[in-house]
Amino acid sequence: MFLAIKEILHNKTRYLLVIFTVFLISYMVFFLTSLAVGLARQNRTAVDQWDAKTVVVSSYANKSLTVSSIPEAKYQKYLTDKDVAPVGQMTVVSQLRNSSNKINTNVFGVDWNDYLSPKLTEGRLPQTNREVVVDDSLKNDDIKLGSQIKINGSDDYYKVVGLTKDNSFFTIPIIFTNMKTFRTLKYGSSQVKNISALVVRNDKKITETGLTQITIKDLINHIPGYTAQVMVFSFMIIAMIVITFLIIGIFMYIITIQKISLYGVMRAQGIRTSKIIESLFYQILILTAAGAALALIFMAITQLFLPKTVPFYSDWLAYLVLTLAIMVMAVLGGSLSIQRVLKIDPLSAIEGE
Amino acid sequence: MSLIEMINVNRQYGSGRTLVEALHPTNFSLNSGEFIGIYGPSGSGKTTFLTILGLLQSPTQGKILVNGKDTTKMNSRTKTDLRFDQFGFVLQASNLIPFLTVKEQFKLVDKLSTSKKEKMNRNTLLHLLDLQSVVNNYPSNLSGGERQRAAIARALYNNPNIILADEPTASLDSSRAQQVVEFLTQIAHESQKGVIMITHDTRLLAATDHVYEMRDGYLNQQR
Ligand SMILES: Nc1ncnc2c1ncn2[C@@H]1O[C@H](COP(=O)(O)OP(=O)(O)OP(=O)(O)O)[C@@H](O)[C@H]1O
Ligand SMILES: [Mg+2]
Repeated sequence: MFLAIKEILHNKTRYLLVIFTVFLISYMVFFLTSLAVGLARQNRTAVDQWDAKTVVVSSYANKSLTVSSIPEAKYQKYLTDKDVAPVGQMTVVSQLRNSSNKINTNVFGVDWNDYLSPKLTEGRLPQTNREVVVDDSLKNDDIKLGSQIKINGSDDYYKVVGLTKDNSFFTIPIIFTNMKTFRTLKYGSSQVKNISALVVRNDKKITETGLTQITIKDLINHIPGYTAQVMVFSFMIIAMIVITFLIIGIFMYIITIQKISLYGVMRAQGIRTSKIIESLFYQILILTAAGAALALIFMAITQLFLPKTVPFYSDWLAYLVLTLAIMVMAVLGGSLSIQRVLKIDPLSAIEGE
Repeated sequence: MSLIEMINVNRQYGSGRTLVEALHPTNFSLNSGEFIGIYGPSGSGKTTFLTILGLLQSPTQGKILVNGKDTTKMNSRTKTDLRFDQFGFVLQASNLIPFLTVKEQFKLVDKLSTSKKEKMNRNTLLHLLDLQSVVNNYPSNLSGGERQRAAIARALYNNPNIILADEPTASLDSSRAQQVVEFLTQIAHESQKGVIMITHDTRLLAATDHVYEMRDGYLNQQR
């Protein structure tokens, strides 16, 4: 540790360069991760809030909530279980009264006294068919408590009486209505008693012809584009981490080569190779930790300045795991130099003549 | 028993037509309390001789005994530890670590040292070699002479039994050179160390107990 720190302090520019490189890579990794997590979350926060185990959808729907539609005869008997709740979903375009701005939204029809009823951050639950609860990300479109909104060009206005947060589905914010309003919007009449799905919170198995019970995970993976998105981001992040291995490896190798006569002096003085290698790894750990720490600080700052509309989510646990991954890669990169250090000849100490 | 003994050691560089016999088969021994001086023309093999003796390189043939133990079969780590413990080198090139101040060079020895062996008194060394004013300097901020003296101080600090010095006085003025030689004499005689000094300055040989001449890879005792 003594040797490692002394050397870093004495050759500040050289090692600052390494820290800076690690900083850039870690920052990129953290940033991409935040976007990936942010986007993934926007796809699924509503579903995550259900905190349920399985969902029952129409078999023909290919695990898609949007396509599924279940008639009353098929689901009514299951509703006696309080851990089974109906949900209606449709994608709509909303418009604020007196505004021409069209906003993509989801309508989720629920029963207000079910466990699927949204958790409010402000306001109250609706009491009439014309009252709704909306996700607070719609504030970005100026929709707030008391706002009047039109849905799919309807003649009626719906009044926002409650706000909820982290409620979006395939990146689109949700408007919660009661079942009756949902049916009117989707089927043109509240007489059609269809729902989109049954959400099951316990381990109940539901087998009904024409219906399929799928896990929440399965449901999310079948959100169009979700798996592809997650994969693209994962590959980018993994690629960056592997690059860390190469960059640190090459950097440390070059530095090692530059230090051969110094190592010769150390070897001549009777300093063990193991000490030299130990020092090399201490340096790598110090440099990567410093670079990553700097990146974390910058992430915190970035977050303050990023527009709210960017799907960005700071997942500190993920940052920690990624930092460890980067450090492991850096250590692996450093091991490329071990071979070279082992070959150092104490005689190279006198080659400086 | 000799501190170090060289038995039929030779050293060749290169092979075939470029083969150089830098050191012809040589027998040599150094006893404790002995101060030996070696002189000879440039390229005659003095450094080669000294580095083989100091286990910095292996001989082509023959063996080196340190405290009676054959070093031929020792692994590199054992030799390294032996170097740390038993040898003090003052090499022709600087043997200081560039990113440590003079003081920190000593601190490193303290940190690495595992044996209970007593160190030389740091202040005495610094005083004697007139280094007190530069203890916080890095090697690059020392004059050639200061660097050489710091290297001597570093070599002696771990209280080695064998001191190998390759032209330790090369960049010193004659009075300082004389002082260093006196100091080496004192260490050899009073602390019962074995000291070998290579020098071009034959005047400095007066203080030594024995003198050898190196010529074309042959080592001959002069007195
Ligand atoms: N690594 C090497 N490879 C090939 N030849 C070498 C090597 N080291 C030394 N020699 C040769 O061995 C001979 C002895 O070299 P050495 O360094 O021992 O001389 P020296 O007496 O110390 O000279 P100087 O007084 O200039 O320091 C020289 O001819 C030199 O060219
Ligand atoms: Mg020489």
